[in-house]
Amino acid sequence: MPEFDPSEHDISEIGPKVQAIDDADELRAILEAEEAGEDRAPVKQVIESRIEKLEEEDEEPDGLPDLTDMSTAEAANAIRDIDDPDELRELLETEEAGEDRGGVKTQIQNRLDSVTEDEDADEEAAEEEPKTPEERHPDLDHPTADKRHVRAVEDGEYRDMWVYCETQQGELIDVSKEMLGKARQLMDDYNDDYDADEKVIALVVGEDIQEQAELAIEYGADVALYQEDPRLDRFLHKPYTEIFVDAARGTGHPHGREDRPDVEWHGYDEPRYVLFPATNNGRDLSATVQAELDSGLASDCSDLHITDVLISNPAKTGEPGTKKEFERVLHMKRPDFSGFEYSTILCLDKPDREFHPQGGSVIPGAFDVPEPDPEREGEVVEWDAPLDDGWFSVDVTDHDQLDEGVDLTGREVVVALGRGIGDDPSKGIELGVDLVDAFEDADLGLSRGVITASYQFEGHVEQYITEERQIGESGQVVEPPVYIAAGISGAVQHKVGMDESDTIISINTDTDADIVDFSDYFIEGDLFEVLPAMTEALESGESIGAVAEAGGATDD
Amino acid sequence: MPGESLPEGDLIPMHTVVLTKGVPDFREGQVSFDEDGHLERGKTPTVMNPNDKHALRGALQTKVRHGGTVSVMSMGPPGYKEVLQEAMESVYADDLYLLSDREMAAADTWATAITLTTGIEKLEEMPDLLFAGFKTADGETGHTGPQTAWGLDIPMVTHVVALDVDEESETVRVKRLVEGDIEEIETVEAPMPALIVMDPEFEPSYRTAGERLTHKDLRADTQERAPDFEDDLTVWNHEALNLDPDFIGLDGSPTIVESVDPIPKPPAEREATMVDADDAEGMESVLEELQPHAAGASEAAGD
Repeated sequence: MPEFDPSEHDISEIGPKVQAIDDADELRAILEAEEAGEDRAPVKQVIESRIEKLEEEDEEPDGLPDLTDMSTAEAANAIRDIDDPDELRELLETEEAGEDRGGVKTQIQNRLDSVTEDEDADEEAAEEEPKTPEERHPDLDHPTADKRHVRAVEDGEYRDMWVYCETQQGELIDVSKEMLGKARQLMDDYNDDYDADEKVIALVVGEDIQEQAELAIEYGADVALYQEDPRLDRFLHKPYTEIFVDAARGTGHPHGREDRPDVEWHGYDEPRYVLFPATNNGRDLSATVQAELDSGLASDCSDLHITDVLISNPAKTGEPGTKKEFERVLHMKRPDFSGFEYSTILCLDKPDREFHPQGGSVIPGAFDVPEPDPEREGEVVEWDAPLDDGWFSVDVTDHDQLDEGVDLTGREVVVALGRGIGDDPSKGIELGVDLVDAFEDADLGLSRGVITASYQFEGHVEQYITEERQIGESGQVVEPPVYIAAGISGAVQHKVGMDESDTIISINTDTDADIVDFSDYFIEGDLFEVLPAMTEALESGESIGAVAEAGGATDD
Repeated sequence: MPGESLPEGDLIPMHTVVLTKGVPDFREGQVSFDEDGHLERGKTPTVMNPNDKHALRGALQTKVRHGGTVSVMSMGPPGYKEVLQEAMESVYADDLYLLSDREMAAADTWATAITLTTGIEKLEEMPDLLFAGFKTADGETGHTGPQTAWGLDIPMVTHVVALDVDEESETVRVKRLVEGDIEEIETVEAPMPALIVMDPEFEPSYRTAGERLTHKDLRADTQERAPDFEDDLTVWNHEALNLDPDFIGLDGSPTIVESVDPIPKPPAEREATMVDADDAEGMESVLEELQPHAAGASEAAGD
C-alpha cells in the first residue's frame, strides 16, 4: 500500500505531500493508485516530476576520477563538474603525493578557488537576503500584515482568454461583440504560433441572460458562462466582481471557494488573459477583478497583440543589467497623456510574484463587430457562484434611459471648434453657433482640446461645452457632406472622428497645422473674422466679397 | 452613565477624504515635448489633476451642507505639496496628507491603491466618505478609485453626477451615469462609509441662503490658512505606513510601460486648396460648397 491514497486529496494537498517523500518506489505506488483511481493529469505530473528529480539525484556518480593517466586538459575537463571543495582537496593531495604535475595542480586549485568563492558568495547572499519581510525590513514592525491584499498563486497554470460581456437591457452591447471577435482572432493566432489549444471564454451576468451566452458563442466564444439572478438585474460592483473571480479561479486555488465544482473546461489556476469593455461599468469591473486576482491592467486599449518580448526592466528581471525573455505577452496599446502619445502596457510576472491574468479594457469601436455565425459550436454553461447578501448593500432604486442627447451623426454640416477660440472662448462658441444656425441642418462639434482646457465660458454658451459634442477617438465619429474645422490643429485622434467627411474646410492661422493634410480647403485666417463673414454670406445669399465690404460698412 | 455623551439627536460630525494627484499641465503653452514628440515631464509644470476638482466639489458640497471636516490625501513626490495647497484652497480642507517616498515612485494603479488604502487606514477613524476623481490626465486609467475601495473593502459608487447625504440613516443617495449602446442614469443608495468616484458632469448645488453663507465663511477662513498650509500637512513615508517596499512603487506594480510612441503624423490624404481669408475669389469657391446647405436653400432651389 502506498503511504497515502491520492484519490482522497485535492491537488493542492498532494503537492506538499509528494515533495516530502524521498522514495521513488513509494512514489511509483502512489502514481499507480492515482492512475487506477481519479487519473488526474496534473496530479500525475506532480508525482512524475518528483520521481524524475529523485532519480536524477541517484544518478550522480560516486567516487573521484583518477587523474593519473590524464593530460592536463583532460584533468581540467574531469574536474569541471566537481562542486565539493573537500573532494577537490582530496584530488590535490593525491596529485601531490603521486605525479605532482604543476599544470594539473593549478587546474585543481583554480577549480577549488572558484567553488569556494561561489560558496562564500552564496553565504553572503544568504546573509543579505533573510527570508521573511520582517527580517529584511527591521525598520517596519510588521510588514507582512500588508500582504493581506496579495492574493497570488505560486507556479500557477494559466490558460485561455476570458471576455467579460457587458449587457444593457438584457442584450450584449456592441463592444462585447467586438471583443469576442478580437479575442477569437488573437487566440486562433496564438494557438497556431504556440501550437496550443486554448479557448475564448465569455462571461455574462444578469437577470435573464442565457440567450446572450448562446449569442456569445456565435460571436466567437468556445465556452460561454452565464450567471442569472433577479438581484443581478443591474451592474453592481461587489457581486459582479465576486462572480467573475469565482468563475476565473480554478479548483484548489488558495483564495478560491472550497466547494467549487471541478469542471472539464477549466483545468487551470487563473485565466491567462482577460478583456473588459472600457465603459463606465466595464472599466470599474476590470480594476476590481484584476486587483482581486493580484494582477494589473491597462485601460482604454485600442490595439492588442500577443508576442514574446525581451525585457531589461530590473523590477521584472530581478537583476539589473540583464535581459529576460517573457513568452506569450499580451501587448496593450492605448492613447496616453490625454491623447498626445500611445503607450504599450505589459503586465509581467516578477521573479517572486506572478502577475496573471494579463488584461485590460478595450475602447468601444476599436475593433469591428464580427459577423455572427449561428453554426458555431460551443459550450454554454450556467455558473452558480453563491451570492452573499452582504454584497448587495448598494441598491439601484431607479434607472432611466437618457435622451440621445447631442447626436452629430447624420447632419449635413458640422461646424467644429478647436483651441483657436482660446483668445475669447465665449465669443468663439457664439460665432460657431451663429454659423450653425445659418445652415439648414447643422450642429456644433468640439475638439478634445476645448473640453479639457480650463476656459472660463460665459453662462449663455456654457451649455455647448459638453463631452458629448467632442469629435474624435474618444468622442463622436462623423462623416457629413461638409465639415468645417475652425481653429483645430488636427491631432490624429481628432482626425479619426471626421476624416470620412465628404468636404473638409479648415480655418486656421497656422499653415503648418496637421489639418492641412486632410483638408479640401484650407482658409488661412482668423476664425474670429472668417466665421462671421461666412455666416453673413450664407444668410444674405450674397458673395463673401460683397459681405466683407458691406460688413465693414455696417459695423460702424 | 459616567462621562459625557452627545446630546440625543446630535450626529457625529462627518469626515470626508478626497484623493487627488498631481499631473503634467496639458494646457496649450504649458505642455512641452522633445524633438521626438515625447512629453518632457521636467519642463512641464505639475498641476492638480483637472478631473479631481469634481471630487473636491463633492466633498465641499458635503461639508457646506453637513459640516464636519475634509481631508485631502495624495501620493507623490514632495513637489505635490503645492498640489495639496491648491486642493486646500478649492475645497477649504481642514488637513492634508502626503504619502511620499522614493519607494513609492513609479507605482501603477495597484501599488498606488495599496498605498492609499494603508494611508486611509492609518487615519484615526475610517472616514464616512471618500471622494476620487474619474481618471487622471496622465495615466487616464480611472482604476485607482475603485481599487482603493476594493482595498478598504467598502461599497463604492462611481460616475456620480448628483449627491445627497442622509446623515441619520448613514446613507448616500446618488445619481450615476451608465454608458454603452445607450446612456442611462441610475439612482443608487449606498451605506456609509463609501467611496464615491465623481463624474466630470457633477455640479454641486447650494440650495439655501444658509448654505451659501457657510460657503462664503469657509472660503474666507481657508484663504487665511492656505499660506501656512504646511501647518496642516502630514507627510508619511513607507516606514510610517509600515509598507513593505517590495509591494509598493515600481516593485509592487504588475504593469510596466514597454514603449511610448508619439502618435504618428499621418501622410497627407487630401490636396488642400489654400485660400487666403482676404482673397474674395478664393473665399467664393468655399462659399459655393456651403451654399447648398444654407438655411432655406432647398426651398429656394424649388425642392
